[in-house]
Amino acid sequence: MQIKESKQGEVLILTISEHLDSATAAVFESRLLGLVDRGERKIVVDCGSLEYVNSAGLKVFLLAAKRLEPLGGKLVLCALAPSVLMIFEMIGFTRIMKIVPSLDDALKALGGEAAPA
Amino acid sequence: MLQTRTCTPRHRLPQPSLMHEGSITVRLPAELREIERLNRLIRQFGELHEVPSRALYAVNLALDEVMTNVVRHAFEDAKDQEVVAQVIARATEVITEVSDSGRAFDPLAVPPPNLDASLAERPLGGLGIHLVRSLMDGVEYRRADGKNVLTLRKRIR
Repeated sequence: MQIKESKQGEVLILTISEHLDSATAAVFESRLLGLVDRGERKIVVDCGSLEYVNSAGLKVFLLAAKRLEPLGGKLVLCALAPSVLMIFEMIGFTRIMKIVPSLDDALKALGGEAAPA
Repeated sequence: MLQTRTCTPRHRLPQPSLMHEGSITVRLPAELREIERLNRLIRQFGELHEVPSRALYAVNLALDEVMTNVVRHAFEDAKDQEVVAQVIARATEVITEVSDSGRAFDPLAVPPPNLDASLAERPLGGLGIHLVRSLMDGVEYRRADGKNVLTLRKRIR
């Protein structure tokens, strides 16, 4: 798995790719929760290049969303491939997390500007 | 005049074979890093036997969840322990069996998560077995000869 980080205004964007599974979830967890600890409150995870996720990876998203909520923060996921989105639906995360089709939608959802074309 | 034609009842027709039948058995060390290797082998097996890609994806993800559970929870010390995974492609279903010699544990005894709970109330546990149940058409657990045996069935079509 690869993780890239960028910032657009107040919004922190993490781009993850390939496999988020039992072997890689711990690295992603410490990175994502580290951002929350550092004070980031508006976080987008761009899943456009994410090919595979299992429950270990799903748990990281749940953990981060749970931690951000009482802090007044928000986690938004975007650009999930159909096979990955199906898993989020199956586990009921589409009901408790903001999941949108594109990065632009994610930035709008967090009240920021859309990415320059 | 209306004529009645006799048709062969459906159940007498031979079942169309959707996949090439066959099986693969993989013995592997009880380690998380082995799961990706297992998934690669099962993908190759599935492609060879023309298992539809959606079913293959479901089988591989379910197998990943079961293996992760075994490696994390079945043994006091997973060192030198092994897990046996068998995948059988039949005409219209894929059967996956995973066995280990760890402590007796029935993952189906874990209550399903409440999908209507709010974010704050959603527990962190139980996600993996919920996925397995949702992805498969049947899941059975048995304890036999000192082993945990979990059988997963995925129908095709």
